[in-house]
Amino acid sequence: MSLEAAIAVTRFGLGAREGEIEAVSAAPKDWLLGQLKTNNSSHAAFDGLKPSHEIYSFSRKYKTMRKTLDGEALVTASKDYGKAVRDNFRAEIKARAVYAAQTQTPFHERLTRFWSNHFSVSARNRNTRLFPGAYEREAIRPRILGSFYELAVSAIFHPAMIVYLDNDGSVGPNSARGQKRNIGLNENLAREALELHTVTPASGYSQADVTEFAKALTGWRIERNSDKGRKQGRISFHKSSHEPGARTVLGTRYKQKDAKQALAILKDLCARPETAQNVAHKLAVHFVSDEPPKALITDLKKTYLDTGGDLTALYKALIDSPLAWEPSAQKVKTPEELIVSASRLIGFDPVLGKRARDTYNSLAQSPFTAPTPEGWPDKARDWLGPDALLKRVDWANELASRIPNTDGRAFLKAALGARLTPDTLQAVSRAESGQQAFAMALLSPEFQRR
Amino acid sequence: MSDFSRRQTLGLIAGASFMAMPKLSFGQGIEGRKFIFVILRGAMDGLAALIPDDKEIEAIRGSILPAQNERLNLGNGFRLHPSFKGLKDIYAQGDAAFIHASATDFRQRSHFEGQDALETLGINGAKDGWLNRLLVANGQKGLAVGRAVPLAMKGPAPVTNWSPPIFKSAPDDLLMRLSDLYAKDPLLAASLSAAHDSSAMSMEVSRRDARRFTKEYTLALSTLGELMSEPGGPGIGMVALDGWDTHDGQANRLTRNFAALDEALGALKVTLGSAWDKSCIVVASEFGRTAAANGTRGTDHGTGGLTMLLGGAVKGGKVHGEWPGVTQPALYEGRDLYPANDISGILKGVMRDHLGITRAALETDIFPNSGRAFDGLISA
Repeated sequence: MSLEAAIAVTRFGLGAREGEIEAVSAAPKDWLLGQLKTNNSSHAAFDGLKPSHEIYSFSRKYKTMRKTLDGEALVTASKDYGKAVRDNFRAEIKARAVYAAQTQTPFHERLTRFWSNHFSVSARNRNTRLFPGAYEREAIRPRILGSFYELAVSAIFHPAMIVYLDNDGSVGPNSARGQKRNIGLNENLAREALELHTVTPASGYSQADVTEFAKALTGWRIERNSDKGRKQGRISFHKSSHEPGARTVLGTRYKQKDAKQALAILKDLCARPETAQNVAHKLAVHFVSDEPPKALITDLKKTYLDTGGDLTALYKALIDSPLAWEPSAQKVKTPEELIVSASRLIGFDPVLGKRARDTYNSLAQSPFTAPTPEGWPDKARDWLGPDALLKRVDWANELASRIPNTDGRAFLKAALGARLTPDTLQAVSRAESGQQAFAMALLSPEFQRR
Repeated sequence: MSDFSRRQTLGLIAGASFMAMPKLSFGQGIEGRKFIFVILRGAMDGLAALIPDDKEIEAIRGSILPAQNERLNLGNGFRLHPSFKGLKDIYAQGDAAFIHASATDFRQRSHFEGQDALETLGINGAKDGWLNRLLVANGQKGLAVGRAVPLAMKGPAPVTNWSPPIFKSAPDDLLMRLSDLYAKDPLLAASLSAAHDSSAMSMEVSRRDARRFTKEYTLALSTLGELMSEPGGPGIGMVALDGWDTHDGQANRLTRNFAALDEALGALKVTLGSAWDKSCIVVASEFGRTAAANGTRGTDHGTGGLTMLLGGAVKGGKVHGEWPGVTQPALYEGRDLYPANDISGILKGVMRDHLGITRAALETDIFPNSGRAFDGLISA
C-alpha cells in the first residue's frame, strides 16, 4: 500500500474506513479529484431533517401561539417547544456524525466542514439553536465547488447567518422603517464578513467601512410570513428597511440601489488579494501544517486570483502541490476529527451512540457550538493543552473498555496503511491487554495526527 | 489506584523523559494576592438574589419571591434570598459586599453577546478577554476551570485549564506507556510533560473522587480554590457556572441554584484556606432580568444585575454603589433594573486597589473606553 494512498485517505479524507486505503491505492489523487465532480450529498442519514424555512415556521408558530396562552398552558407549551428544539438539535448532530462515518466522498465532506467553520454559525445563540444543521445542508455542502463569491453569498445571505450575526433586526436609520420607529443599525454581520469571512484586518478597513457595509446590508432579512410571493422563513430584501443612498467601502463608491448594493460590495471584497490570502492561508493551515510553507500559500493565492476564486481550481492546486503531500503528518486532529476518524473504522454506535454527548463534552468540541463567529480553532496549540491531552487519554481508555475485543494492531493497519511506523506497532504489540492495545492505537501519534 | 499514584506516574514520566523541560511558573503578583472571576452564564436574577425592601417589589414580582419573613435581612434595605445562608455569614464577617443594579455597557438582550461583552469589556468585537489582558499586565499565568478557556481568559498570556472528568481516569500504566509512544513526537511529548508540570491542577484533582461533590458548582469552585492555594499556585482564576436563564418556574430553580452557589462559595472559602484573606472574588452575570415576573412565573432578559464581591480583601458587610430603586419611572425602558453601576468600573477599582495594577495599564490596556474606577471596595 502506498504512502500517498494513506495520506489521501487520512489527511484529505476523514480517516480510513475498512479497506479504504487499499481501494484508493491505485490512484489516490484521482480518488480525491473524483470527489470534486458533484455536490450530490444526499444520504439516508439526513432523511427526515427539516429545511430551515420549516424550522423558522415552526419557531414562529410557537412564538405567536405563546402570546395567546397563560398559566399552565403556557408552561406546557414552553416545555414542549424546548423539548422539540433539543430533539431537533440531537437529530442534527447524529445525522452529521453518521454521514461523516459513512460517506464515500470524505474529501468533499472535509471541505464542507472546513467552509462551514469558515462561515461559522453557532447554536450557542438561543435564536440559532435550531438552524446550524440545515444551514450546512443548504448553504454550504451544495456550494463548495463553485466560486468563493457564490459560496459567500450562499452563506452570508442564509437565514441562519442573518439571524446569528443580527442582520435580521438591522435597519437603516434613514429608511422608511428606521424613520418610523426608533430602531437602527447592527454592524455585526458587516464586521465579521470583513474581518473573518473575506478581507481580514490586513486590508486596513476602518470603522467607517464597517458602518458603510452594514448600511448596505440593511433590508436583507427573514420573511416573517408568506405573502405576495414571498415565502416565510426565506431571505428576501426589504427596501423599507434599507438605508438609502450610495456607499463607500474600502475606497470604492457603490451607487447600486437596494438589493444589488451589498452583493456588489461583497463581490469586490471576494476579488481582493487579502481575501485570496485569507483563503489560501486557511486552506494550507487546515490541510498541511499550523505553519504552512509560504510557497504553498503563494501558489494557492495565485490560483485564487487567476481563476476569480474558483474553489475547485483551488482544491486541484492543493492536490497538485507536492508541499501538501509531506510524508510526516503535521496536523493534530481536532477532537471532532478524532471522533470521526475512529467512527469511520468502528462505526457511529460504538464510538458515540449513547455516549455522544459525554464524548463531545469531555473532548470540548460539541458540534455546531463554536465559541465565536470565528469558528473552531484549527491549530494544535488550541487542542493539545495538558488537560485536553489527558481527556483524550481518558476517552481512549473509555472507548477501549466499551469495545474490548477490538484488535489494536489490526485497527492501526486499517487506519493508517503505510503511515504506520514500526515503533508504534511494536509499542502497541507490547500492551498488557487487548483493551490497552486498542487504547494505545487510538492515542498513537499517527492516529492523533493526519 | 490511588490519587497519589497517577501524580507519581506522571512525575516519573516527566523525570525520565523530559528532565530538561522548564517548569512553568504561575508567578505570584503582589504579596500572593488572589483574584477570581466567576461568571454566571444565562443572566442571574439579581433581584431574587438580593431583594430590596422597596415596597414596589412585592407588587411587580412578589409572586416569584420567597416570603418576606424568610429572606435574610442585611439591615440596610436589602435581604438575601434564604438559600444564601453561608453567604449571609460571610457578609456578617465583613468578607462579602454587593453592588446592585450593575451592568456592562451592553444594552441588548442576547446572552452570548452579553457574555462576550462582559468578557471583553471595553473593546468591541475583541477576540481576547480582559482577564488575559490583566495577565499580560502583571506577568502571571491564569487558570480556568471548565472544559474550554472562556473568552475572558483568551489571549496572548498563557492560561491553563482544568475540567472535571466525565469519563473515568485512564489507568497509570497506560499513561506510562504513552511516554514511549510519544518518544519521537515532540509536540505530544511536550503536552504530556506539561500535564505533569501542571500536576497540581490536573493530576491530583482529576483523580480525586468527584462524586464527593453532589453539585457541579462546588466541584468547580473548590477545585479552583485548591489549585490556587497551593504553594506556587496561580494568582488569577476564572470559573463559568451555567444555568441561570430562568424564564419559567424560577422560584424553585433559583432556590436550588442559589443553594448550590452558596455551597460552592463556602467550599471556595474553605479550599482557599489562608489565601482567603488575600483574595477577592468577583461574581457577575452578563445582564440582569426583568423587574417584573412574566407569564410563566419567571423573568426575561433585563439590564441591571447583581455583582458580588467576596474574600478577606474585600471591604465587606456593605452594599456599595447606587441603588436606583424599582419604581416604574426608575426602571430602564420601563421594565429593567436601571444599570446604575458600571461593572468595568468595579473591576478597575478591584484591580487597582487589590492587585496594584497601574492606572496606565488599566486605562489603556485592560479597560480602554471605560468609566471611573470604583473606590473603597478593597479593605487593605
